[in-house]
Amino acid sequence: MIRLIPLVLLLLAVGCTQPPDALEMEDALNLAEAMGGDTLGYARAVGPKDFDFPSDFGAHTDFKTEWWYFTGNLRSEDDRRFGYEFTLFRSALRPPDSLASPSDWSTNQLYMGHFSLADPETGTFHAFERFSRGAAGLAGAESPPFKVWLEDWTMESTATDPSSLFPLRLQVAEEEIAIDLTLDAVKPMVLQGERGWDPKGEGNGNASYYFSFTRIRTSGTVTIPYGQYDVEGTSWKDHEWSTSALGDDEVGWDWFALQLDDGREIMFYQLRREDGSQSPFTGGTLVNADGSYRHITRDEMDLRVEGQWESPLSGAVYPSGWTLTLPGEDLTMRVTLVMPNQELNVSVRYFEGAIDVEGSSNGEPITGVGYVELTGYERPTS
Amino acid sequence: MALSILGVALGVAVVVGIDLANSSARTAFRLSTETVAGRATHAIVPGSGLLADDTYRNLRADSGLRNAAPVLEGHIRAGSASGPVLQVLGIDPLAEEPFRSYTGGPEGELDLGAFLGPQRTGLISRSTAQGLGIQSGDDLTTFREGKSSSIRILDIIDPDPGFSEASLENLIVVDIATAQALLESPGKLSRIDLILSKEEQGDKIAVLEDVLPPGARIEAASARSSTLDQMTQAFSLNLTAMSLLAMVVGMFLIYNTMTFSVVQRRGLIGRLRGIGVTSSEIFGLILGEAAVVGLIGSAIGMVAGVALGSVLIDLVTRSINDLYFTVRIQDLNITPLGLAKGVLVGLGTTVLAAFAPAREATRTMPSTALRRSEDESRLEARRGLLAGSGLILGILGALVLRTSGESIAFSYVGILFVILATSLWVPFLVDSGSRAVRPLMGRLFGVVGRMAASGIHHSLSRSAVAIAALTVAVAATSGVGIMVDSFRTTVDTWLRYSLEADVYISPPGMVFRRNDATIDTAVEERIRSMEGVSETYSVRTAHVLIDGRMSDLIVTEPRDSDLEPGRYKELPDFDHREAMTARDVVMVSEPYAFRFGTQVGDFLEIATSDGPRPFEVGAIYYDYASDLGVVQMARSRYEFHFDDRQVSGLAVYAADGVDVDDLIDNLTSVTANDQGLLIRSNRSLRQASLDVFDQTFTVTAVLRLLTILVAFIGVLTALMALQLERAREISVLRANGMTPSQVHRMVTTQTGLMGLLSGLLSVPLGLLLAWLLIFVINQRSFGWTLQFEIDLMVLGQAVLLAVIAALLAGWFPGRSMSRMNATEALRFE
Repeated sequence: MIRLIPLVLLLLAVGCTQPPDALEMEDALNLAEAMGGDTLGYARAVGPKDFDFPSDFGAHTDFKTEWWYFTGNLRSEDDRRFGYEFTLFRSALRPPDSLASPSDWSTNQLYMGHFSLADPETGTFHAFERFSRGAAGLAGAESPPFKVWLEDWTMESTATDPSSLFPLRLQVAEEEIAIDLTLDAVKPMVLQGERGWDPKGEGNGNASYYFSFTRIRTSGTVTIPYGQYDVEGTSWKDHEWSTSALGDDEVGWDWFALQLDDGREIMFYQLRREDGSQSPFTGGTLVNADGSYRHITRDEMDLRVEGQWESPLSGAVYPSGWTLTLPGEDLTMRVTLVMPNQELNVSVRYFEGAIDVEGSSNGEPITGVGYVELTGYERPTS
Repeated sequence: MALSILGVALGVAVVVGIDLANSSARTAFRLSTETVAGRATHAIVPGSGLLADDTYRNLRADSGLRNAAPVLEGHIRAGSASGPVLQVLGIDPLAEEPFRSYTGGPEGELDLGAFLGPQRTGLISRSTAQGLGIQSGDDLTTFREGKSSSIRILDIIDPDPGFSEASLENLIVVDIATAQALLESPGKLSRIDLILSKEEQGDKIAVLEDVLPPGARIEAASARSSTLDQMTQAFSLNLTAMSLLAMVVGMFLIYNTMTFSVVQRRGLIGRLRGIGVTSSEIFGLILGEAAVVGLIGSAIGMVAGVALGSVLIDLVTRSINDLYFTVRIQDLNITPLGLAKGVLVGLGTTVLAAFAPAREATRTMPSTALRRSEDESRLEARRGLLAGSGLILGILGALVLRTSGESIAFSYVGILFVILATSLWVPFLVDSGSRAVRPLMGRLFGVVGRMAASGIHHSLSRSAVAIAALTVAVAATSGVGIMVDSFRTTVDTWLRYSLEADVYISPPGMVFRRNDATIDTAVEERIRSMEGVSETYSVRTAHVLIDGRMSDLIVTEPRDSDLEPGRYKELPDFDHREAMTARDVVMVSEPYAFRFGTQVGDFLEIATSDGPRPFEVGAIYYDYASDLGVVQMARSRYEFHFDDRQVSGLAVYAADGVDVDDLIDNLTSVTANDQGLLIRSNRSLRQASLDVFDQTFTVTAVLRLLTILVAFIGVLTALMALQLERAREISVLRANGMTPSQVHRMVTTQTGLMGLLSGLLSVPLGLLLAWLLIFVINQRSFGWTLQFEIDLMVLGQAVLLAVIAALLAGWFPGRSMSRMNATEALRFE
C-alpha cells in the first residue's frame, strides 16, 4: 500500500533520528528531494472520484507519486516456500510544465523498481533496486493495454481483451534471481478508504487514491542460483497514487495484507507517530469471501507486537510478531514472519516480509498467509 | 665556450619544445577520451553516423543488459561563436553509476528534476567554470553550427578518483536529453558504454553482436585512445625529425667549439703533456669538459625548450584541430621522460661531437703544441679520403633510403647519412673551390682577395667545418622551403580545379578540413531554389566504418567536370562515374590508397545502415584535403544505403549574368538569421584553405629559423677559432705593412667567400633534400603526389642567406683581428 509516501516519511524519520553516517543522510535527503518536497503544481487527492478503468490502471503523471505493488506467497510442487515483492514506483521530479524538448529523453518522470525474493528454506533474502527515467521507452506505465515496466522488469496484461487487467504477467530477473508469474484475480477489485479515496493525514489533499486486488491466483516459475521451481500461490496487488499523504508527525507504519483460508482478506495499517502512539488515520479493510468489503476503523482493531528482530545490517529493531484482534468479527490472528531477515537494503531501507497467519474465527481455527511492511524503524548504529 | 653552451641549449630547446608539444597534444587527447570512457571496458559504436537510441532501449528493456550507459558526445563553443571549444558529454545519470561518478547516481546530490530536461542544464569542473568566468547557477551561452543556445550550470563536478582535475578541462556533462537538443541529434547516441568482465567478454560480445543494428560493433575502450596515435603519427614524427635536424646542425657547432677550445689551449695541453699528463687523461679531460658543456647546455635548453614548447603547442594544436580532430590543450604536459630525452640528445651529441677534438688533443706532443701546420697538411692530405668515405656514406644513405620501405624513421636516418656524406665532401670541395677562385679573387680584390681565398684552404680543418655547418643549415632550410613551396603549389593547383563552383556554403564547424556539421534542411531548400542560383551540388562528410576502420566518407553529386582524367591517379577501363551512380562503386583518395594499399578493382566493406556491404573501388583520385585518406561515394548510392539525408556543404553556381558578389550578398541575407553559415566565394575559400595550409607549416617555419640560428652561431665560433689561430699570421702580415683596414677587408672577404661557398654547396644539397622530402618522406608519410617545384628565388635566398650569415659572423672577428697588436702577438716567436 503505502509504498512511496513511506519514503518521504522514512526520510523525515531518518532526519530526526540522526543517521548513522553522512552518506545515509545524503541518500535520504536526496530521495526526499526526488520523492517528496513541494506539492505545488501537482494534482491532489482532495476527495472521492469516479475511477475510469481501464485507463486508471495506468499512470497519473500529474500526481507526484504512484506505485504498482505486487506481493505473494508461493509454493513449489515439492512444497518449497517463496515470498516475493515486485513494486514499480513512479515519481514526478517536478510539476508538469509546458516546456518542450526535441528529445524523447526529456522527462519529469522517475521510475524506481524494487524486487525481493524470500527463500525461507535457505534463509536467504534477495533484494534489488532499479531506477530509470520514465521516457525514451526505458520505463513507463500504460493502460489499456496494461503495461508497467522498468527496462526488462515488467508487469503486463496478457488478456485478449485490452481493457482487461487480468490475466497479467510479472517478469523480473536480476543477477541469478528471477520470477516469471501469471496472475489471475479470484475476487473483484477493492476500493480502499472512501470509494478509493484514502486520507492518510491531517489537511486537505493529504490522501491517496487506492485500490487493491486482494486475492490473485498465481502460477509460474521462481529461479534462484540453485535451480528453477514451478510454483503456485496467491498474490496481492495494490495501485495507489497521491501527491502528499502523511502528516508531519507520522514517522512510519506497520502495514498488513492477510489472506485467510476461509476466503477473507484483511488489509490494515497502523501509522505511528514520533512519540510511538498510533495516528488517528490508522485503519483498514475487511474483504469477505463473496468479494463484499467494509472499512475497518482504528478502534475496531487491536494490534499487539510480540517479539523483535534486530537487523544485523542496519541495526534497526523491527517487530517480528503480532496479534491482531477484531473483536467485532470474533477474529484473532497471530502473525509470524516466515523468516526473520526480510529487510530490503536499498536506497531507503525498509522491511517487506512474507508472513504466516494462525488464529481463530468464531472459535474455529484459521490459517493464512500474507505480507507485512514495516517502515521508520531505522536507528543509528553508533 | 658560452657560444657552444648556447648552441647546445638551442638544439636541446628545439628537440624538447617539439617533444613537449607533441606529447601534450597526445596526453590531452588521451585524457579526454579516458575521462569520457570512465570505467567502461567496451562500447557499442555505430558503423556510421550515430546510433539510434532504440538500440539502447532494446538492449536494456528487451535484452536486459545491465552495466550499459548511453553516451552522446559532441562539441560546442562557449560564450561566443569563436569562443573556447567545450566537449559535450551527454549521459543518463541513472545508468551512470558503474561508469563515471559526475552525476552521483539516483541518490546523489544532483537535482534530477532539473537535469533530465527540458530545460538545458549541465555540470562543469571548477577550473573550466573559472576559465569561462561563470559559476553554478549561471547560464552559459553556447554556439554550435552557427546557432546559439544556453545551458544553466547546475553544479560543479570533481574528477573521478584516479583522474586529475585536468581530465575535466573543457568538459560539460549534460543529460542525454540536453545533448540531443544541443547537438540537434534527437533519437541519437554516439555510443553505448559497456562494462564486461573478463569472463563474460567472449560470450556476451557474441550474444550482443546478434542483436546490434547493422553496422554497429563492439569496440574495446582502449582502442579509442590509440586513434590519435594512428591519425597523427606521420605528423608528429615529421615534427620530431625536423627538431632533430636542428640538433644535427648543432652537432657541427659543438664539434667546432670543442675543437676551438682544444686549439685555444694547445699551449696548456702541451705543457700538461710536458709535465707527464698522459694522452688518455687529456682525452678524458676534453670529453669531461664536453660533458659539462653538454649538461649545462642541456639544462638551459630544457628551460628554453619548455618556453618554446608553450609557443609551439599552440601551433601544433591549431594544426591538429585543422587537420584531424577537435582537441583543446590547456597546459604543457612536462614529463620527466620528455626532458630526459632532451638531456640525452644534448649530452650525447656534445660528447660525440667532442670525440674528434679530444683525439686531436691527445696527439698534441709537447714539442708540436704550438704548431698546427701538421694538422692542416694532414687534413689536406685526407680530404680525398674524406670525400671517399663521404661517397661510401652517401651510397650507404641511398641504400638505407631504398631498403627502409615504408619506415619514416629509417628514411630520416637515410637523409642523415646523405647530409653527413655531403659534409664529408666539404673539405675537398672547399679546398678545390678556394684554389679555383683564388685567381678570380685576385683579379677582383687584389692581394687581399687572393690571400682571403688561400686562407680558407690553409686553415681547412677549421673553415671546412664552419662551411659544412653553414651548408647543412642553409640546405636544410632551402630543402624544406622547396618542399613546402612544391606542396603549396600542388595544393593551389588542385584547389583551382576542384573549386569550380562560384560560391561555397558550409556551417561553421570545429575542424576545418573535416567538417561534419550539417546545414539545416530548410535552409538548404531555400538556397537551392533561390533566384540567381543556376546549379547546386551538395557535399556530405560522414564518418563510416570502412574495412573495419572509421574513415571519412565524402558524398558528392556527380558533375561533368569529374570526367577530367587529370584528376585521377588511377582509372579503370570502364566509365567509373556512371558506375558510381549505377552500382556500388566508390573512389578513394590517393592518401587512402597509400595508407591501406587499396587498388582500383579492390572491394571495400562499408558499414551501411543495412549492415556491411562490398563496394568496388572505381578510381583513385588526387586529394590534398586529408592526409588520412577519404572514400568518395555518389549521393544517390549513399541515400540508397544510408538513413541520412543531411548535407555538410553546398557548392553554388551563379546563373548567367549574375554577379558572384551580389549572389553572396543575397545568400547571406537569405540565410543570415538561421545558422551563421559560412558563405564564401571560390576565391576566398581557396584562400582560407591555403591559410590553413600555411598555418600547418608555421611550425616548420619556426624550426627553419631556429636551425639557421644554430648554424649562425656555428659560423661565429668557427671564425673565432680562426682568429685565434691566425693571430701570428696576421701579426706577421701587419708587421710586413698590411694596414688594419686591409686586415679587416681580408677577413671579411674571406668569411664572405666562405659564405658564398656554403651557399653554393647548399644548392645541390638543398635540392637533394627537397627531392628526398617530397618523394621519400612525404610519400612514405602521406602518400601524396606532389609537383617538384624549384623556385629559384628560394635557392637564391639560400645563397644570399649563407653569405650574409657569414659576413655577419665574420665582421666581429675581422674587426678584432684588425685591431690586434702585432708585437703582442709576435712575442711568442
